[in-house]
Amino acid sequence: MDVNIIYNVEHEMHLGVLIALYFYLTGLSAGSFIISTFAYGFGMIKFKPIGKIGVVMATLLLVIAPMTLLVDLAQPLRFWHLILYLRITSPITWGTFLLTLYPLNCIVYGYFMFKGDMKKTKIFGLIGIPLALMVHGYTGFILALGKARVLWNTAIMPPIFLVSAMVSGLAMMMLVVIIKDYVIQRGKEHDPTLLYDLGKFLVASIVLDLILIGIDLTVLLTSHTEAYVAALMLLKGEFSSLFLGVEVLLGGIIPLVLLLLPLTKRWIPGLVIASILVMIGIFAMRYIMVVGGLSIPLS
Amino acid sequence: MKKNGIKKKRYAMAIDLRRCIGCHSCSVACKAENRVPLGVFRSWVKIIEKGKFPNISRHFLPSLCNQCDRPPCVINCPVQATWKMEDGIVIIDEHRCVGCKYCLASCPYNARHINPLIPIVQKCYFCYHRVYAGLDPACVEVCPSKARIFGDLNNPEEEITKLLSKQPFQLLKPEMGTYPQVFYIAADADAMDPFAGRKEWM
Repeated sequence: MDVNIIYNVEHEMHLGVLIALYFYLTGLSAGSFIISTFAYGFGMIKFKPIGKIGVVMATLLLVIAPMTLLVDLAQPLRFWHLILYLRITSPITWGTFLLTLYPLNCIVYGYFMFKGDMKKTKIFGLIGIPLALMVHGYTGFILALGKARVLWNTAIMPPIFLVSAMVSGLAMMMLVVIIKDYVIQRGKEHDPTLLYDLGKFLVASIVLDLILIGIDLTVLLTSHTEAYVAALMLLKGEFSSLFLGVEVLLGGIIPLVLLLLPLTKRWIPGLVIASILVMIGIFAMRYIMVVGGLSIPLS
Repeated sequence: MKKNGIKKKRYAMAIDLRRCIGCHSCSVACKAENRVPLGVFRSWVKIIEKGKFPNISRHFLPSLCNQCDRPPCVINCPVQATWKMEDGIVIIDEHRCVGCKYCLASCPYNARHINPLIPIVQKCYFCYHRVYAGLDPACVEVCPSKARIFGDLNNPEEEITKLLSKQPFQLLKPEMGTYPQVFYIAADADAMDPFAGRKEWM
């Protein structure tokens, strides 16, 4: 039957790129913190050279990330309400505390690391891991508990966010190492095995990320009407070129090929391309989740 | 029953679409009563047309905040700026709202909006300033065909209680588990479906 909407009201959605950017930055921060604890928390000696860069990046990114939230508030000067009038059922309240505790822990952990106190570094590194997981896991909960939006309201949202945080964090660390070794200290000899090891981790997390995206899509396609509409939006609708082209192909499959082919996996420019593509792909994923999720009509 | 013998109120609205003529008086009255700025609406009437000539029909769906019994906006507000009062009305403390817009994202009914003039979130609150003064909400008062019925569901003598006890009614998105308190009588399924008539989405 022909149905035509003659008149309807849709309110403009004011959440957008800034929130996607916030999710992206916390993801990078959590990812680089966890990589930094590989050496100083778990004693994987080969990752020691990136331990310090990791914690500096994690702290810096987590100083910038809440700024994007603050700018996004309609009433930024009332930010202290978040601490004074908290409501414990709201994931944003969880975030208020996580976003305070996690950077503090990062600073303490970094302080002991630079001082060379390995015992205390290990303790704060191990405290930091659940904090880093929670600080990014809660951003997944922000979307998952917004139950009006069908693209968000799935139990797989927090794990997808955690895995994509690892993906983007690893890619960023690879870029940082390459810049440090081949741009800043280009005169010296460098051992590239660290990069190859990071590449192996990156391959594993990209595969896991693609599997989780596949699971999400499969359930969306076979669930209720609205979920089906959301899946169609990703596969052939407004966001299909961004989802299939940028997130899956550019951000997932091409880097995977570059990192797995024997020809390119030891080729430094190939690693640069792969990590830049991965970082673009993960940003596209955040953007599709926030803006795409909000673009599905409600009334 | 409370100790003092005064029964708790439970405000609700019934919208009888057998009577609605789609005149938009409720939208206009709401705008005037609550000084709702241009570009946003707290109460509006969705209109759809269906069928092929000569077998066609028009259906209306007056939309407003559903004053849910389990409101996702209240659960998700990080600063307790919005809450459900004992009488069932969900209100916003405009001085406490930080404007994080999470409630806009959580509301399944598209009922909340950012005020374009003062940056805070606003929505329909059943005109509680009128209700507490003993009047009906503006949209109810102005409806020329008496399609909107407002009242206390705990009072068996009220028109809304009698109507909802006898007539079959529908709720918007009951699958969301929000227990909405706006009841529709004879609403059209296609008017209630956000995707009906949106060919670009199906």
